[in-house]
Amino acid sequence: MSLVWLMIVLFVCLFLGVPIAIALGLASITTLLLFTDHSLIVLAQRFFYTMQVYPLLAIPFFILAGTFMTTGGVARRMIDFANALVGHFRGGLAMAALLACALFAAVSGSSPATVVAVGTIMIAGMVASGYRREFAAGLICNAGTLGILIPPSIVMVVYGAVTETSIGHLFIAGVLPGVVLVLALMAVVAFRARRDDLPRQPRAGFATVLRTGREAIWGLLLVVIILGGIYLGAFTPTEAAAVSAVYAFVVAVFVYRDLKLRDVPRVLTESARITAMLMFIIANAFLFAFVLTTEQLPQQISAWIIDLGLPPWAFLLVLNLILLVAGNFMEPASVILILAPILFPIATALGVHPVHLGIIMTVNMEIGMITPPVGLNLFVTAGIADMSVAQVMRAALPWLAVLIAVLLLITYVPAISLWLPVLVGWPDAAS
Amino acid sequence: MTPLKRASAWLDRAEEVFAALALGLMTALTFVQVILRYLFETGFVWSLEATTYTFGWLVVVGMAYGVRTRAHIATDLLTRTLKPRAAQIVACIALALCLAYCALMLAGSFAFVDGLMRLGHDAQDIPVPRWLLASILPVGFALLALRFVQAGWRHFAPAASPRSDGGVSAGAARSGEDGNAAGGGS
Repeated sequence: MSLVWLMIVLFVCLFLGVPIAIALGLASITTLLLFTDHSLIVLAQRFFYTMQVYPLLAIPFFILAGTFMTTGGVARRMIDFANALVGHFRGGLAMAALLACALFAAVSGSSPATVVAVGTIMIAGMVASGYRREFAAGLICNAGTLGILIPPSIVMVVYGAVTETSIGHLFIAGVLPGVVLVLALMAVVAFRARRDDLPRQPRAGFATVLRTGREAIWGLLLVVIILGGIYLGAFTPTEAAAVSAVYAFVVAVFVYRDLKLRDVPRVLTESARITAMLMFIIANAFLFAFVLTTEQLPQQISAWIIDLGLPPWAFLLVLNLILLVAGNFMEPASVILILAPILFPIATALGVHPVHLGIIMTVNMEIGMITPPVGLNLFVTAGIADMSVAQVMRAALPWLAVLIAVLLLITYVPAISLWLPVLVGWPDAAS
Repeated sequence: MTPLKRASAWLDRAEEVFAALALGLMTALTFVQVILRYLFETGFVWSLEATTYTFGWLVVVGMAYGVRTRAHIATDLLTRTLKPRAAQIVACIALALCLAYCALMLAGSFAFVDGLMRLGHDAQDIPVPRWLLASILPVGFALLALRFVQAGWRHFAPAASPRSDGGVSAGAARSGEDGNAAGGGS
């Protein structure tokens, strides 16, 4: 009964256009008041407690690092480098855009940020060189989702925090699936390029590759610091995030000098705004998860699904369907917070590795970013490509097939996610 | 500029400056902690707790700031398809729901802070009473309510800006763009 009420209030609020955070909060508060003995005090306390969860502290720092990198001309340098590497192929500019998204994803933990950083420059650039606007927008909108798969990733931080899975393992595990997705998208671009006779760029000399590479390396070192630092045990993921934020500041202001010191307050304000928006959703999703738990709903749902006696492959299929639907209606962090406590125990009971489950959930969230009604990438792309959301949606649709194919591959071949963590010496990731 | 407008502009600016400073402080604290550990094998015990409370204050103040700057995500699935008149009504209901949320959380926060006051404990590592650290909660939810009222006022008042074209209907959260101009803070 309480579950029905919870869901009805949530969806009615969402459809009326109430912000997601408040829809989650209102559903939780009313359920708590109507169906339990808890008072409002618990909610206020829980809300505030969210910001004391240590792993979640990484989120503002990753956002800050990403904002420094976006405003500090890092994206432009990565695009130049990508262009020097693959621009001379047929459809080279599209491949460069894709590669630039992957490179930028390695300094940014968010998908919309990746779309903005690369898309602002590349969509106009591709259109100017004779690509169709729909093609350019569709590609960037999809490639931008790499932001949450290639480390660092805010979605993985949230998953790690709720399920107590190592965030370091998750980050390393995301690398190979990211590469697989890039290659799959690249193959489709190559195919379309041949069919539609897309233009090439002049071949860049080796000197240009070297020069642009040296320019871009400062940005790319960020992910090396994060992964290396966590891997060597030098810092916790939260500390790695803070170090990377300071590093991004130094690179943007003192190395690239695209940013003046007086621009720094603006970067801080913008990052604080994004942080507060995201954490407001997360804190309310925590309330939602808390209400579910006090009503013992995760246990009941888990038990019910386990009783169905699904074989692992069928469960994984159901899991993907649930996540895809939920990802359509909500923002990734809140989906993870609400569904991970339900799905995690079933998955582990069926022998799905926690890190593998985290990667599956992340890829599902990527797909949620490009499907309406809450596809953040769609809105962002529409803004920078000067198209309507409906147009971007149609443009992004064909690429969705690639993402779904990769999702199935990653779901049913755990090695893609677990091979690299095992290789770098985390034996427990193999079990 | 009327005194009311001036106060509102001042508040806008204060929110921004506070959020930026809080984020800067958190980053600096955590970074310095790493440096101290590696270079001097030491650290401050109070650092982590100070960081998490700064984070709490940042989010609680920032959520109100987010209303003004249209940061909060909402869907426009239904509102987009409605006629202007119906969209207005839906926006009105959405706003009422947002305010109901603020009121409930405000009541909860007051009770929470009141409870802490009666307990009278200090925080774990920083010598500040717990209730004082939590007192930002009622302030934040009151600010949030104020921002929704402001956004609603701008949206429904007859003298609203010429760009109230129904696109703002997705909850009051979406109507912050004119707020930037009106606030003059940014």
